[in-house]
Amino acid sequence: MSITSYNGSALIAMVGKNCFAIASDRRLGVQFQTIATDFQRIFEIHETLYVGLSGLATDVQTMYQRLKFRHKLYNLREERNMRPETFASLVSAMLYEKRFGPYFCEPIIAGLNEDGTPFICTTDLIGAKQLSKDFVVSGTASESLYGACESMYKPNLEPEELFETISQALLSSVDRDCISGWGGIVHVVSADQVITRTLKGRMD
Amino acid sequence: MLDLRLLEPCSLQSSLAACADPQVLGAAPPTFKLPAVADLDGFQKAAVQMVKPAKGTTTLAFVFKHGVIVAADSRASMGNYISSQTVKKILEINRYLLGTMAGGAADCQFWQRNLGTRCRLHELANKRRISVAGASKLLANTLYSYRGMGLSMGTMIAGWDESGPGLYYVDSEGGRVEGKCFSVGSGSTYAYGVLDTGFRFDMTVDEAVELARRAIYHATFRDGASGGVASVYYVGPQGFKKMSGDDVGELHYKYYPVPEATVEAEMEDVTTS
Repeated sequence: MSITSYNGSALIAMVGKNCFAIASDRRLGVQFQTIATDFQRIFEIHETLYVGLSGLATDVQTMYQRLKFRHKLYNLREERNMRPETFASLVSAMLYEKRFGPYFCEPIIAGLNEDGTPFICTTDLIGAKQLSKDFVVSGTASESLYGACESMYKPNLEPEELFETISQALLSSVDRDCISGWGGIVHVVSADQVITRTLKGRMD
Repeated sequence: MLDLRLLEPCSLQSSLAACADPQVLGAAPPTFKLPAVADLDGFQKAAVQMVKPAKGTTTLAFVFKHGVIVAADSRASMGNYISSQTVKKILEINRYLLGTMAGGAADCQFWQRNLGTRCRLHELANKRRISVAGASKLLANTLYSYRGMGLSMGTMIAGWDESGPGLYYVDSEGGRVEGKCFSVGSGSTYAYGVLDTGFRFDMTVDEAVELARRAIYHATFRDGASGGVASVYYVGPQGFKKMSGDDVGELHYKYYPVPEATVEAEMEDVTTS
């Protein structure tokens, strides 16, 4: 089995009207065996910037720790939070540093610019950035996720509608993948609030 | 990649004609032409690899005081992709004999239907029903003759005959083993854990059905390659009966309901006049 499908994961980020949503499954497994159903893949960098990491679980945790460290240092030096595009470039640079022995994770970056417009992008495991206007997906169920998002996505959705759309896309995709699922978690972030909900999904 | 151009239409028709001949059918297992290929071993290895990914499943069967319980999940997976959540893995060979499916679906379906045919012929020839031991032996001997050719089956034959309940495990390596409790597939270890803990020989039928359902549910929770619907059958003196077919997604919330979050009541502003 490939190293990126050793633990299993599924992630989506979607753009709405002055808001974004980022969602992931909650399973941690070792090939076919399920170990945990509360594994955290989406991390807050600051109030309006979230990063989701798919792939090998140990690299998910290490990448998060390194990114958190770099952002804290940036905060101390610049006395402000990082902008999403800058953070995306940071992620890309950190991944390319390990070009010949990479981290086996594929991050999704989602944030709000200063003017309130949402920003999402994803990179591959060695840092190739891919910006998107509508949605980005990552993980072992990525093919199903692309299909579901492509058919369910509509632009300019309000936060509640965006929550419904991203939840349905995630749940229907992980129901076709053996190694992701076992629940879900969604963060819908607007300029003034963050709504976090866990999803009731199939536990098989 | 398999080269399937070798399976020409003319050779397929002649082997079909042979199968339809009533004298051939039942006297010996159906014969299949070997592919006319230079490297037969290589071809067989490629064929095995093509069928192989299909052993993700959980099936179980056990004997208890009142008969035999047979249970299975319903997921078919090809690698990590779930190809179906509604596969029938408990095959009804005849009214008092059940077989389970693990491994290659086509192999299990074909050979168990073939077994049903041979059991019926036995009844007609001997004026009595075949025993579970006899039926499982027919299947095991057939599979042994195809040993090494890439069939993939791990099946349990369960039934009720004159000597009471019977349960045998038969696989494509040609093995046949009698027993009181079996579980087959990638989720079998999880099912054994629940089964061995809760088993008592003198359970009632309902308790046994619930134990089997729980075992399949726990296997589908832990094993990625098992899921879908947990089907449970009971085989007693009157033959088999399907006892339940519950969606495993709903079973989870029935066994482990999500506690209602206590909603804090907001303090109403008391208007002072």
